Amino acid sequence: MKALQWQGINKLAVGTVPDPELRNPGDIIVKVTRTVTCGSDLHLIGGYIPFMEKGDVLGHEFLGEVVEVGPDVRNHRAGDRVVVSSFISCGSCWYCDQRLFSLCDNGNTNPAITETMWGQAPSGCFGYSHAMGGNAGSHAEYIRVPFADVGAFTVPDTVSDERAVFASDSASTGWMGADLGGVGPGDVVAVWGAGAVGQMAARAAVLLGADRVIVIDRLENRLDQVRRHVGAETLNYESDDIAGELRERSGGRGPDVCIEAVGMEAHSPGPQFAYDQLKQQLRLQTDRPVAVRDAIHACRKGGSVFVLGVYAGFVDKFPLGALMNKGLTVRGAQMHGQRYIPMLLERMAKNELVTEYLATHVMPLGEAPEGYRIFKEKKDDCVRAVFVP
Amino acid sequence: MSRTGKVLLIAGPFVAGAAAVAVGRRAKRRTPARHRHVVTVYRPLVELEVTQLPGSLSEIVDRVEVSLAAAPGGRGTEIAIRIPDGSPITDGEVRRALRETRSLLEAGDVLLPSGPPTTVSTPLNRPLQKVTAHGREGGLL
Ligand SMILES: NC(=O)c1ccc[n+]([C@@H]2O[C@H](COP(=O)([O-])OP(=O)(O)OC[C@H]3O[C@@H](n4cnc5c(N)ncnc54)[C@H](O)[C@@H]3O)[C@@H](O)[C@H]2O)c1
Ligand SMILES: [Zn+2]
Ligand SMILES: [Zn+2]
Repeated sequence: MKALQWQGINKLAVGTVPDPELRNPGDIIVKVTRTVTCGSDLHLIGGYIPFMEKGDVLGHEFLGEVVEVGPDVRNHRAGDRVVVSSFISCGSCWYCDQRLFSLCDNGNTNPAITETMWGQAPSGCFGYSHAMGGNAGSHAEYIRVPFADVGAFTVPDTVSDERAVFASDSASTGWMGADLGGVGPGDVVAVWGAGAVGQMAARAAVLLGADRVIVIDRLENRLDQVRRHVGAETLNYESDDIAGELRERSGGRGPDVCIEAVGMEAHSPGPQFAYDQLKQQLRLQTDRPVAVRDAIHACRKGGSVFVLGVYAGFVDKFPLGALMNKGLTVRGAQMHGQRYIPMLLERMAKNELVTEYLATHVMPLGEAPEGYRIFKEKKDDCVRAVFVP
Repeated sequence: MSRTGKVLLIAGPFVAGAAAVAVGRRAKRRTPARHRHVVTVYRPLVELEVTQLPGSLSEIVDRVEVSLAAAPGGRGTEIAIRIPDGSPITDGEVRRALRETRSLLEAGDVLLPSGPPTTVSTPLNRPLQKVTAHGREGGLL
């Protein structure tokens, strides 16, 4: 079958790979009908997460049709249209029982790497390096989905492929940021990053009753989407005084909840950017934490900061003093998709959650390297490139 | 391509190899003061018996010291293993056995990597492939 493969740092190509096989009795094989670029992939492509092998298949946000089912699968049959959580979870360990699905104890076949780096190993993910299990990704004609009864969800007839596919990763990630960040009625919420993840976090905050939601980015096309589709306010960090505006728009208190949806390749207009980039290139820090720093500084006393952006290792100039003295709660996580997807599909069916506008570029899988180029360089107002195998 | 890209082109593979080697190396080191490997399995103590443990642990159970204890707060059962002095059984075997047996007890299965493989072996990724070939043996457990 055809698949998009990582061939080396900043090198992608569509190649031919063997069709995936059922490996465990709880597996299904899905014929992929839509598969999406995610900001997380950029960290892999750029070599910031150095656990890739030549030939690895990328992709973790997808939807498709079930074509084969293992003997232990109860919830799915061939022909079902399913959307799949990007993280793989067993559904029965203590973490899954706490609904912290991306922390599952049994979903990563290579726990040694992350356990050594971080002390404990999170679960596995599709198409996300050998540190996350080395699972073949979704930018392919077919994909094997383990623990399918837990991670694959049948899409209601009333929800289109175009909309449902984003339940797989960006919408569930965004929802998690607002939910576990503790957003509720009366809150002022600030979101850094207007990619699909930040936009979905902002939409979740609106739906959870926040009083004011403000999204920060520099890309006007994305901020325009936020105003039109999310129903939130925007700030441009290249022209607005972010700290001052956030203070003013929250009555001098600072936002109650700050959600960071930028990640380790954050950009900054100030001198700290050159500093962070140089340190990252010299491997003195692995990540550029610009937006996390700003979020912690802006947050009201006793407020909460949720880190959705992906970080791999160590950062420099982390504002520990602000965190401690302002009594903040800082939390982060890889997405607990299984926790949110059924609810998200319901909201999609009711038109509360509209996502299809995120797919600014839809193209055949054969053009995926070009799709990643425009997504990475944010060319042609690209927000998400969607591949149709 | 940005400047970042070029620099990483040089640094990246080197770092990848180094990181994989570090994981491998650290995984092998055994702290002298530590004698036990412990996992918590999300099953109540009353359901488990040392002689009835399934999977890879059953293959070594009579050659290591196994003890079971209830974990606090309803978290299940702690399975602790001590390798007797002079035993040929390695820390890696014990880690793998504990992880596989936990998965069997909790999920009824042990996840296999996806396949057939789509990757090719290169001098750059060989250290990483060595680590992932023993994915459940390393780590800190
Ligand atoms: N936690 C999870 O499970 C999970 C899941 C999906 C994605 N992610 C991560 O979320 C992050 C965002 O993902 P995405 O797909 O939306 O990415 P994206 O690349 O499409 O969007 C990132 C946005 O951040 C903006 N940005 C850069 N620097 C900024 C700054 N200093 N302040 C404000 N905005 C800034 C960029 O202009 C861009 O619009 C990535 O790090 C990704 O890895 C995490
Ligand atoms: Zn993602
Ligand atoms: Zn689990």
